[in-house]
Amino acid sequence: MDIFLQQLLNALSLGGTYALLALGLAVVFSIIGLINFAHGELMTTAGYVMAFALAAALPFPLAIILAVAAPVLLAVVMERVAFRPVRGASGTTLLLTSFAVSAILRVLFQNFISARPVPVPMPAALSGVINIGPLHLGIIQSISIATTALMLAGLTLFLNRTVAGRAMRAAAEDFAIVRLMGLRANGVVATAFAISGLLAGVAGLLWVAQRGSVDPLMGFLPVLKAFIAAIIGGLGSLTGAVAGGFLLGFIEVMLQAWLPEAWLPYRDAVAIMLVIAVLLFRPQGLLARKTVLKL
Amino acid sequence: MRPGMTLSLTVLALGLAAPAPAEDLKIGLATAQTGALAPYDQPSLAGFQMRVDEINAAGGIAGKYPIKLIAKDTRSDAAQTALVAQELVDEGVQIVITPCDADPSIAAGMVTQAAGIPAFSFCATTPTLPLAVGDYMFGNYPADNVQAAMLAEYAIGQGYKTAYILTSPDTAYTLKLPKYFGEAFTAKGGTLLGEGTYAMGQQDFSAEVTKIAAMNPKPDVIMTAAYEPDFPALMRQLRGAGVTTPVLGSDGIDSPTTFAMGGLVEGVVFSTAGFATEGSPLAAFNAKYKAKTGEEPNTVYIANGYDLGTVIDAAVTKAGSLDPKAIRDAIASLTDVQGVTGAISYAGTKGMPLRSVALVRITGGKRELVKQGVPAPADVPAP
Repeated sequence: MDIFLQQLLNALSLGGTYALLALGLAVVFSIIGLINFAHGELMTTAGYVMAFALAAALPFPLAIILAVAAPVLLAVVMERVAFRPVRGASGTTLLLTSFAVSAILRVLFQNFISARPVPVPMPAALSGVINIGPLHLGIIQSISIATTALMLAGLTLFLNRTVAGRAMRAAAEDFAIVRLMGLRANGVVATAFAISGLLAGVAGLLWVAQRGSVDPLMGFLPVLKAFIAAIIGGLGSLTGAVAGGFLLGFIEVMLQAWLPEAWLPYRDAVAIMLVIAVLLFRPQGLLARKTVLKL
Repeated sequence: MRPGMTLSLTVLALGLAAPAPAEDLKIGLATAQTGALAPYDQPSLAGFQMRVDEINAAGGIAGKYPIKLIAKDTRSDAAQTALVAQELVDEGVQIVITPCDADPSIAAGMVTQAAGIPAFSFCATTPTLPLAVGDYMFGNYPADNVQAAMLAEYAIGQGYKTAYILTSPDTAYTLKLPKYFGEAFTAKGGTLLGEGTYAMGQQDFSAEVTKIAAMNPKPDVIMTAAYEPDFPALMRQLRGAGVTTPVLGSDGIDSPTTFAMGGLVEGVVFSTAGFATEGSPLAAFNAKYKAKTGEEPNTVYIANGYDLGTVIDAAVTKAGSLDPKAIRDAIASLTDVQGVTGAISYAGTKGMPLRSVALVRITGGKRELVKQGVPAPADVPAP
C-alpha cells in the first residue's frame, strides 16, 4: 500500500510537468490552430538563461525571473517573426513552420552555445527530501506539484476574471466574432504566445532542476509527451490538456511500477497503446470542446 | 534544418584552403556536426583537428604526407552517414572517420569495407562494431566490455557481493555495458540481484527508484551506463528516496554536469578513457588545449580525438605509403602508440584498440584516480 501511495505521488509529480507543457501547447492551439513544436526550444531557452545567470553569479531568485522572462519574450518574437505571416494558413503550413523554427533554434544552440550539455548547478537545498510517514517526496518533486497547482489556479483566474483572459476564451470559441467586437487579433494572439512562453519557462526550469544540465536537443521529448497529453485531453481544450497530462503521467509511472520485468522495455509502446484505446472510445479526446474550430 | 549552411561553415572552419599537392593524405569525416551525436563528434573533431594541424605544421606525416580533411555533416542520421561515406569514398579519401555511435558507424562501414578503405569510429564503444563491419573497421575508444571488466574487478575488490544493474534498451551502450558488468561480476563470484530498465531522456526514475528502495535484501552496489540527462535525474531521485547504495557508472558521465551535482554524486566511481595526473601527457595536453582555445577541455573526447591523429600518423608512417590496404595492415599491427590518454595497441585485437581505462572516484566535486590500466584479457567478457 505504501508503495502504491508512493507511486501515486510520483505520478502526480510527473503528470504535473506534462500538464504544464500540454497547457502551453493548448493555449496557442485553441486560438490559432497551431501545434507549436518549437515549444520545447522555449524550455531549452529557459534552461540556458538559468545556466548563464547562475554562471554569472546572479542571485538565485533573479536567475529564475530572467529564466522565465526569456521564453516569454522569445515566444512573442517567434509569433511576430514566424507565425504571424502564415496566420490563417492551412494546418500543415503552420505545423511545418513550427518544425522549422524548432530546427533552426536547435542548430543555433548547437553551433553558437555548445553541442555539449551545459551544467546548471541548482542549489543543494533543492536536492533534499521531505518524508511524510513512510513516503518520500523530493523537494523538486514537491515544488513541481505546487508550481503546477499555482500555475493552473493563476491561469484559471486570468481566463475568467480579466478582459484579456475573457477575450482569449472568446477567441478560442470564435475568433472572427471577437475581432468584430473590436478586440485586436494581434493582441490576443500575442497574449496567448506570451502565456505559452511562461508555461514553457516554468516547465523548463522544473525539467532542468531534475537533470542538472541543459543541452540543445533537450526540448524535443517533453514536447512530444505534451503533444500526446494534449491529444488525450482533447486538442484545444485547456482543462483537457491538464487532464491529459496527469493521465499520461499516471499511465507511465504505473506501467513502470507494475509491468512484468520482461515487458519493461516496451513500456512506452504499452503506454501509447493505452492512449490509442482512450482515443478509440473518445475520438475527440477526454474533454473535447463541443464547438468546431473556425480557423 | 539547414545542414547546407552548417556544412559550408564547418568546411570553412576546417581551413581547407590550400590546393592539395599529389601526396596529400585525404581523410574523410562522416561525422555529426548537428543532431544527437554532435555532443560527442564535435569535441572529438576539435581534438583531431588540433593534432592534424600540428602534423601539417611539421610538414605532414613522416615529413612528406600533409593531411587534408574533408568534413561532411551526417546530421546524426544513419542513412545520411552512409550517403556521406559514399561521397567521401568517391572523392578518393584514404581513411574515413565515422561517428561516435555503432549504428551510423556500421552504416558507413558497409560502404568503406566494400571499397577497401580503413575507417575509424571517433568514440563508439560497442565491441561488436568491427565484427559487424569487417577488417577495415576500427574503434578508437576503450570498449564497453573492457570498461565493464575494470568496474567489476573494482566492485569485487571493494567486497561487494551483490549488484543491481540498470539498463536502457535504447542504445547498445546503455544496454550492453551493464550486462557485460553483470557477466564479469558474476564470473568473479558476485551475484546479480536484478536488472531495472529505463527509457532514455525521460529523466523520470521515480517508479524504478521506488522499486529499488523496496528491495530486500538491498544490493551492495548499483551499476549503470546511464549518462545525462538520465544519470543526474537518477542520482537525485535515488538519494532522495533514501537509497545510499554505492553507484558505479561509465565514461558517459565524465562531464562537467556530473561534477556540478555536489553531494549527490559523492563517492560515485566511473570508468573513463584517461586521467590527468600531474605531469602526465594528458595534463600537458589539457594545458595546451587551454592555451590554444582559452577553455578547459570539458570532455575526454577532445583528447581522444587528438589521439586518433597520433594513431593515423603512426599507421601511415609505418605503411610508408598512402595505399589504403597498406594503411589498414599497418593499423592492425600497431603496438603501444603513445597517445595523451595512454598507450594504444591494435595488434592482436579484432579492431577495438587495447588502451587503458581509468577508474575515477568523485570526492568533494573533484576527480580522484582509483586505478588506471588494462584488465587481464581473461577477465574481459566476450563481445
